[in-house]
Amino acid sequence: MHIEQLKLRNYRSYESLDLSFSPNINVLIGENAQGKTNIMEAIYVLAMAKSHRTSNDRELIRWGADYGKIEGAVQRKYGVLPLELTLSKKGKKARVNHLEQQRLSDYIGQLNVVMFAPEDLHLIKGSPQVRRRFLDMEIGQVSRVYLHDLLQFHKVMRQRNAILKANQGRSGLTDVMFDVYTDQYVDMAIRIIRKRFEFAEMLQKWAEPIHKGISRGLEELVITYETLKDIEPDQSAEEMAARLRERLEGLRQRELDRGVTLAGPHRDDLTFLVNGHDVQVYGSQGQQRTAALSLKLAEIELLRQETGESPVLLLDDVLSELDDYRQSHLLNTIQGQVQTLVTTTNVDGIMHETIQKADLYRVSAGTAEHENHDD
Amino acid sequence: MHYPEPISKLIDSFMKLPGIGPKTAARLAFHVLDMKEDTVLEFSKALVDAKRDLTFCSVCGHITDTDPCRICKDESRNKTMVCVVQEPKDVIAMEKMRDFNGLYHVLHGAISPMDGIGPEDINIPDLLKRLQDETVQEVILATNPTIEGEATAMYISRLIKPSGIRTTRIAHGLPVGGDLEYADEVTLSKALEGRREL
Ligand SMILES: Nc1ncnc2c1ncn2[C@@H]1O[C@H](COP(=O)(O)OP(=O)(O)OP(=O)(O)O)[C@@H](O)[C@H]1O
Ligand SMILES: [Mg+2]
Ligand SMILES: [Zn+2]
Repeated sequence: MHIEQLKLRNYRSYESLDLSFSPNINVLIGENAQGKTNIMEAIYVLAMAKSHRTSNDRELIRWGADYGKIEGAVQRKYGVLPLELTLSKKGKKARVNHLEQQRLSDYIGQLNVVMFAPEDLHLIKGSPQVRRRFLDMEIGQVSRVYLHDLLQFHKVMRQRNAILKANQGRSGLTDVMFDVYTDQYVDMAIRIIRKRFEFAEMLQKWAEPIHKGISRGLEELVITYETLKDIEPDQSAEEMAARLRERLEGLRQRELDRGVTLAGPHRDDLTFLVNGHDVQVYGSQGQQRTAALSLKLAEIELLRQETGESPVLLLDDVLSELDDYRQSHLLNTIQGQVQTLVTTTNVDGIMHETIQKADLYRVSAGTAEHENHDD
Repeated sequence: MHYPEPISKLIDSFMKLPGIGPKTAARLAFHVLDMKEDTVLEFSKALVDAKRDLTFCSVCGHITDTDPCRICKDESRNKTMVCVVQEPKDVIAMEKMRDFNGLYHVLHGAISPMDGIGPEDINIPDLLKRLQDETVQEVILATNPTIEGEATAMYISRLIKPSGIRTTRIAHGLPVGGDLEYADEVTLSKALEGRREL
């Protein structure tokens, strides 16, 4: 799939912007703070109904305006699909083909994107929370059942925590309602865990050969999803549920002391091993960068596999961060296959012929214009 | 914008209704000005009467103008089956279907610890009292398929299981996370067929 047209109204620094993109490589060039990332972010928000930089939607609305709007025409296998997202202080409205969607979970996934920005390097180095968010966003793009389960999971956990809070400090708790919510909690938790296991396995399958390629055959990448110690991916759902239940019983008193749920997918993590060693702990900066790049390229493959179409790749400020070898590897992989938007302050550092042939857009002070090659 | 006081009061009143914002309220208020006086009087009387004359049935909790309600009083209905729902509107949805001939019990909510709503805060104690004589043999739990609706159904079924009364849960065909009210009649009827033992 690719995005043909993008219209912004009162979005970040843009009062009004209309752009058409090429299905191949599009390069946005501009000085710092001119609005390059704002365009990338707008496309990301159009896809995910949520920014990659902030969880506060109000920041997305242009200063002084009451509402903002992102519209896109997405070319898919079966035709052009108009998407529209209106942001206001009261909330957001999403339209597919001009029809308003009651649930955002029905909207997400109409446009698939993979964003690679400098902060993605934190994916390896950062806290487990960053990796859980990555898992949730990526699985959410391909499975609306997962998004729905995730909402339900958090709701059940809040209910269960409310009972724990109400009984905080007590020793022991016998309450039918607590048992009922614990049963529901275990049920939802296992659904989330199973989906994440499945996703990590696919990610591993695609990322491993890609990583080998970028590291010139020297490194073997292994991605694993880590949950409770005695829960393994090959167990049945019932078995997993029994383990989690057991663990919760063991933690009962501590849960009552603290007033919160202490075991479940909200405490899990994704780990990356290179040649058997944890990259987060032992990896050099270059190795962490390569692992992050492999992960992003694997995501493209994975989305292609799941949806039958290539996602749109958004490369914000990262191309110039990669050395020549990694740059070529990346550009050769996407060339002619994946619509890509690249931002940079300067094309001089990027000699690859793919970029030399790309469509250029000059971004400056809240405007962006398509530029011909001949000037 | 400044309206004469009677109008702005009317607009404020319309805005107390669910789903009505300032624009719609203003449109409705100006429409009222164009209506015949008789019609307006009838309308306001209907509002007051609905509030004054309707109470909750002391047996099942449904809204009614007689106590017990018409459903509870109807001798032709099957008194061995009680269908537990969250809201009066759910009874109305079930009745439209005409397939169910038992009685109802309206909870007026669902158990939600984070909102401070426990079993005693909804119509559960009355349900348990109602089940003490031997008449009822099956309780059909038709609470909404939301987290709280499910939890409430599971809670009730655990409480009445020891009494030997059969408990079933409507399940199939209902949109997940949705309200019973929005389910169309066919889905509801399928849901009733597919009820399962809890
Ligand atoms: N809600 C908003 N309303 C108006 N302007 C905004 C809003 N949010 C951000 N901006 C402006 O947008 C500009 C930043 O744009 P953006 O992040 O796209 O820059 P950039 O071109 O990617 O720069 P860099 O090369 O430094 O990454 C800032 O100057 C900021 O003042
Ligand atoms: Mg930027
Ligand atoms: Zn009644």
